[in-house]
Amino acid sequence: MSQWLAQVIERAGNVDDWLASARSKALAELKEKEWPGRRTEAWRYTSLHKVADLNLATTSEATTAEAPQVEGLNSIDLVFVDGRLTSDMTNLVLPDGVTIASLDTKNDAAENLFGQVKPQHHLFGLVNDVLAQHGVVIDIAPNANVEQPIRIVNFASDGVESHQRSLVRVGEGAKAVIIEHGAGNGHSLNTAFAEYDIADKAALEHYRLALHEGEAIHVGGSHFRLHNESKLNSTLVGYGSQLTRLDVDIEHAGEHAFAKFNNIYLLAPKEHFDLHSTIEHAQPNGTTEENARGIIGDKAKAVFNGRIHIHRHAQKTLAELNNRNLLLTRGAQINTKPELEIYADDVQCAHGATVAEIDEEALYYMLTRGIDKQQALVMLNFGFVQELLFQMPNRALANWLQPILKQRFERMMEQQ
Amino acid sequence: MLSIKDLHARVEETTILKGLDLDIKPGEVHAIMGPNGAGKSTLGYVLSGREGYEVESGSVSLEGKDLLDMEVEERAQAGLFLAFQYPVEIPGVSNMEFMKESVNAMREARGEDALSSAEFLKKAKEACKQVELPLDFLKRGVNEGFSGGEKKRNEIMQMIMLEPKLAILDESDSGLDVDALQVVAKGVNSQRDGKRSFIVVTHYQRLLDYIEPDYVHILSNGKIVKSGGPELAKEVEKSGYAWLKEGEVA
Repeated sequence: MSQWLAQVIERAGNVDDWLASARSKALAELKEKEWPGRRTEAWRYTSLHKVADLNLATTSEATTAEAPQVEGLNSIDLVFVDGRLTSDMTNLVLPDGVTIASLDTKNDAAENLFGQVKPQHHLFGLVNDVLAQHGVVIDIAPNANVEQPIRIVNFASDGVESHQRSLVRVGEGAKAVIIEHGAGNGHSLNTAFAEYDIADKAALEHYRLALHEGEAIHVGGSHFRLHNESKLNSTLVGYGSQLTRLDVDIEHAGEHAFAKFNNIYLLAPKEHFDLHSTIEHAQPNGTTEENARGIIGDKAKAVFNGRIHIHRHAQKTLAELNNRNLLLTRGAQINTKPELEIYADDVQCAHGATVAEIDEEALYYMLTRGIDKQQALVMLNFGFVQELLFQMPNRALANWLQPILKQRFERMMEQQ
Repeated sequence: MLSIKDLHARVEETTILKGLDLDIKPGEVHAIMGPNGAGKSTLGYVLSGREGYEVESGSVSLEGKDLLDMEVEERAQAGLFLAFQYPVEIPGVSNMEFMKESVNAMREARGEDALSSAEFLKKAKEACKQVELPLDFLKRGVNEGFSGGEKKRNEIMQMIMLEPKLAILDESDSGLDVDALQVVAKGVNSQRDGKRSFIVVTHYQRLLDYIEPDYVHILSNGKIVKSGGPELAKEVEKSGYAWLKEGEVA
């Protein structure tokens, strides 16, 4: 048992709100959990020794923060600072069919979602269950076509531990765009978990930007349940920070659901990034396309674990998972493990993981156009992840991310 | 403009060019024809400096400067352009950033200021129009998912943007239908200004109906075995390469 986790359990006893019954259930499970060590499969390559004895402030003095402006995005912003909502909810102008509520007050949608989509085996998910007192509940009415993106911003301040929760329901036949945007570079611990229920024929365009840097510790998850003929197009963009760990679960709970999941990670020297994704094909005729691309700087460490589980009943599943990595130096490290578990006999699946090398023919082509070798290498290497940026449906967000990621990459090349 | 003297070059252990001589003056268009395996594509690769193509002996100078002493990108900056037979796909790099980087690298080498985004875009739009490529193609990955014809037109569009002194077109006609061929030829002809020189490498005479050469050379077994005017291409069209003496055929 870690000292920190003991403290979490103690603090959980003081949380008393309308979610009490769900929280007490989670607390019971949390008490049964062992503190993960090297032999815990889910944490095999990510050590939690920096969290074990963590002792940060659990209240914050920070009150407001400006969300980073994304030109042309025109989003509805819900800004959390150290887990507390600082946006004025009464001033929000919402499109038709959108209801946004705080987690503080009792809410039907929240009651049906809290802890219902997220699998209960995630240790930090349980921590979030018992401690996240603030959060947001987004309800998209059936058949509403909401083009305006809704952005949930999570800032983590130096010296603070915080927990935030998001619950989203996309009604039957509805369309929505949700962005989870995390940032912070001080010594902090932030957990942010989001649960999404995507009803029949609904479509969700989703982004998770885990742009934590420096001493920040960020552990979070995005968890999706897809019903009949629903669509999910999700892009995750992550840095490493001292420790960034994300769990993504996509459950095909209905037939003919489609999930596209792209992720990009860009690790500066000494950063640590760990992504575990699990796709559950519980029903027939589902499709999953997952593409993960990472560039890893000197002495940085990335962990990618992508599991696709096709249940016995899930015939005619199409599933592809691909992970490619570019190591910038010999000191860079990747532990990648794509896993396919197939119990149905009529499926098409493919998976693979590679450590990429420079495409010599592409390099030659660029040189014949007069581009200097160093610059050509920067463009080619960055192009490796940029390819996934090109696939983001939201061009404003992609155009905002492109120069930020490129600058980060150029600094990574200089630090070699 | 370009002077090649007794050029011998090999790929791995095989010598492909075996004493090639060629002199090109400013503004001239030289067609190089020849059977498969004669060394036509090798010439373009050797001149551009591709890795793995090793010069054994001979010399090449571009405007009096030793071309063989330069890196690949320096040759390009000196004014050499190679339109690829098989243009390379680079999915993660957009045509826009690729061309902007390239155009500005050339400008810098010529001692000119870099183009602003607006200036670049204007020029790129004009070039796109000239080769009949839709504008949105600038945002796509370099050659990504392009048809064979689009790739060839993209090469010509790059040539228009980069304003080289000498352009080598390596089978820019292969795989094109007549309409696409005319677009390519029109793009090339628009760049004939009496100063810029061209080497048009082709297997068939067809392209030369649209791009009229000043000279035609027949390359066989690593050297030029016959040179003449445009009428030589017609002769090849009529009788093929069978007339080449045994031993001259690769």
